[in-house]
Amino acid sequence: MSMLKEDDLSSDSELLSKLFVDILDSIIVDVASESHRIARLGLDCNLDNEEEELRLSAEARARASDPSNSGEANGKYVVDIFGQTHPPIANEIFECMNCGRAIMAGRFAPHLEKCMGKGRKARLKSTRSTTSARNR
Amino acid sequence: MSRRHSVNRPPTPDVRDDDEDDRPKEPTLLEIVNIKLIESGEKERLMELVRERLVECGWKDEMRALCRAFIKKNGRENVTVDDLVRAITPKGRASIPDSVKAELLQKIRTFLVSVAH
Repeated sequence: MSMLKEDDLSSDSELLSKLFVDILDSIIVDVASESHRIARLGLDCNLDNEEEELRLSAEARARASDPSNSGEANGKYVVDIFGQTHPPIANEIFECMNCGRAIMAGRFAPHLEKCMGKGRKARLKSTRSTTSARNR
Repeated sequence: MSRRHSVNRPPTPDVRDDDEDDRPKEPTLLEIVNIKLIESGEKERLMELVRERLVECGWKDEMRALCRAFIKKNGRENVTVDDLVRAITPKGRASIPDSVKAELLQKIRTFLVSVAH
């Protein structure tokens, strides 16, 4: 390999060409493999961006105008991802720890305002452990 | 999982003539040089360089467009890597810019010279 005879020269160029083609083919395979992966994983679905935009806006419009479909603010009841509906005002009833009354959960905050200090009627009440709350 | 032909695919198709396979264990000159090329890291360097050049000149984008067209035509789920390779290799080889070819040949030649001494 250290002597450049006639034979070596032609086999050298054959060698050169084979190595060259080998490298190019490897690169071509890489590109094909990458495109294949993207296609199979569906990462390349935006074949035409304008097409995609039109499709997305059409979908959004359909979603907005469909009353039975649940959105955050659509319709009377919202449907969450488990398919459950919740009434707009939470209606679970429990006992207020301040006055002991049965209160609806969704009305608890306004109730507490009256019950604990903001409302005028509440000031007249003196109940057990509310002094620290009032001093706040 | 029987659809995944591309995972268990046979070796890369012989697009070029491949007479090294006919010889038994005796290492050919090509194999020796190839091993030196790989072991020295030169092959990886060359491939990175060529990849970069081919991206710069838009060749890679052309190839990817060809792949997309092929996939669109034949169906996303039916296409294997080998199909794509077969589909783009002729155009791929032909559309490599001469400057890139020359640069690669030059570098391989330099390597061969350095290995010979």
